[in-house]
Amino acid sequence: MMQHARKAKQFLADEPRTDWHNQTLWIVRQKRDALAASVPGWETLREKASAIKEDALSHLDTYLEQFETEALKNGVTVFWASDADEFNRIILAIIRKHRAKNIVKSKSMLTEECGLNHFLQKEGIEVVDTDLGERIIQFRKEIPSHIVLPAIHLKKEEIGETFHEKLGTEKGASDPTYLTRAARKHLREKFLAADIALTGVNFAVAETGTVVVCTNEGNADMGVHAAPVQVHCMGIEKIVPRQEDLGVFTRLLARNATGQAITTYTSHYRKPKQGGAMYVVIVDNGRSEYIGNPQYMNSLKCIRCGGCMNTCPVYRRTGGHSYGYVIPGPIGSILAPQRNKQKYKDLPFASSLCGSCDNVCPVKINIHEQLYRWRQELTENKQTPFVKRFAMKALGFVLSGNKLYNMAGSLARKAVRYLPDKLLYLPVNAWGRGRELPVPPKQSFKQWYLKNHKDIKS
Amino acid sequence: MTKVDILQSIRKRRPVFPILSPDNFEPLPVALPGSLIEWFKKSLKTAGAEIIELKNTELDSHIAAAWPTILDFTQPKIRAEYPASAPLDKLNKIEHALFAGNFGVAENGAIWIEDKDLPHRILPFITQHLILKLDAGKIVATMQEAYQQFKLNDIEFGVFISGPSKTADIEQSLVYGAHGAKELTVILVTLNQKNITHND
Repeated sequence: MMQHARKAKQFLADEPRTDWHNQTLWIVRQKRDALAASVPGWETLREKASAIKEDALSHLDTYLEQFETEALKNGVTVFWASDADEFNRIILAIIRKHRAKNIVKSKSMLTEECGLNHFLQKEGIEVVDTDLGERIIQFRKEIPSHIVLPAIHLKKEEIGETFHEKLGTEKGASDPTYLTRAARKHLREKFLAADIALTGVNFAVAETGTVVVCTNEGNADMGVHAAPVQVHCMGIEKIVPRQEDLGVFTRLLARNATGQAITTYTSHYRKPKQGGAMYVVIVDNGRSEYIGNPQYMNSLKCIRCGGCMNTCPVYRRTGGHSYGYVIPGPIGSILAPQRNKQKYKDLPFASSLCGSCDNVCPVKINIHEQLYRWRQELTENKQTPFVKRFAMKALGFVLSGNKLYNMAGSLARKAVRYLPDKLLYLPVNAWGRGRELPVPPKQSFKQWYLKNHKDIKS
Repeated sequence: MTKVDILQSIRKRRPVFPILSPDNFEPLPVALPGSLIEWFKKSLKTAGAEIIELKNTELDSHIAAAWPTILDFTQPKIRAEYPASAPLDKLNKIEHALFAGNFGVAENGAIWIEDKDLPHRILPFITQHLILKLDAGKIVATMQEAYQQFKLNDIEFGVFISGPSKTADIEQSLVYGAHGAKELTVILVTLNQKNITHND
């Protein structure tokens, strides 16, 4: 069984939890729908956002250089990293330069992608994740199961247990307000003692060298303004050319992510604080390799709202950890094979190709078409299981001839009717693993049609 | 050198999108549910903020009565007490802090604050209770208008704040006061003896 299917089976073993997960994310999707519908011209807004991203990607070299020039003028130090390892080493060098001990970090999928925490840990440096959901999973040594709701796979009782162990909250206490207050107290101490604050970047404005970070909790700002040194980590695709572009994206992002009109805080960092230092690290890590690939380049428009996860029938019922990549769900399933085709070869198949992800995507990424394209590419490269490829070839052969097709249909109808279940549900019948075969009709549609429309020639 | 490598890699594979210029879009329609002020108030309530409407003549007495220990950062004397070099322990003791917002955004209740309003950047986040006063005439409809109200190049740090700090990371239960201010009160100030009319 493929990786995703195997892990999904584990997730599905707890049926009430699966139902809860499914319904909770569907509520988020519904909130998103209500907010989207409340904005006149929502579709135009999506088109405009998509056009801005396409313009940004088409001239990315120019905009990145412009961003750097402006940032340098603002007294910001800019670093460039080709891959995860170089990125991690740059962060380590900044930490060592400032002789920093206490590091706080707000949400950044890029640092997850690069495995920064793990890398620094091996160097003896502890990073404290300050987003509540991320702190919870950091305590539990897990990875986020959703890019916007990192701990959505957990129940409050489990979080209560973790906090009892790590923060000394009362045993058995699971009230969300109580637990949040405990985390607030714990993390405020971390903020006040911070030497360096790391953040992700939602948008980097080329014309002004400003980086924009959106949070609800205020953890990015608490860290950035408390620590003398602030470090913002961005993928090359985070560039937007102009200030006015922010007006488009800030209307879309939170509405599409969590069904809020805007995040509580939309912070614009342009210059270091008095007596402080500000760094921006620009990371490629495989992105530029796909930037000119007509099949996949659209994926670089992603603004990481998580909307495609909330709507995906497969994600909702299998949980983020089933995907095994740092970004789960539909968008993750097209980004993951860009990083490593062999390792993530099953993710493009973890989809029903219903296309709902495309419909909610605020920047109009053709996610399901890319999933389909990946399936073709992986199959052409023989990276899909032999049985599947053989079955598909056989099916193609059968479906391409009239006689064979009619014969196969008639055989199948008989087989399903008369063969014992043991034979029908052999392990090669992957489809039958979670489903029951329908009762076959006595005749094919073609036979029925010819019988009932004798006047029409076949 | 990494920068050159990355830029070369981009140039080598420059994407060709069937470009729709971002400038080719008509201004988006704006539907106003009532007046800008009503829309703004509704958005702020949804975001979890409390709203008080006062005439400018009532302002001082109301603030003094409601929050006797408030630090009013619109006053130079208070600003001088909490400079950028102020120790964090001192800032962490602040219960109520008042700032003047520059303008508000009706569609989401966001209020724009920038460094000229903040002697220390952490202030609106570290205070337990944030109070923002805003001239009721300074409300724009959408974020697209909002970004026309200032130039990012004039601002070293600036933030849109919409509501108190919040999280729903535990089972999607909404809790106010994650890391920033636990409460936000917005004082909408109207000029005395004058009903402001809006050209909606």
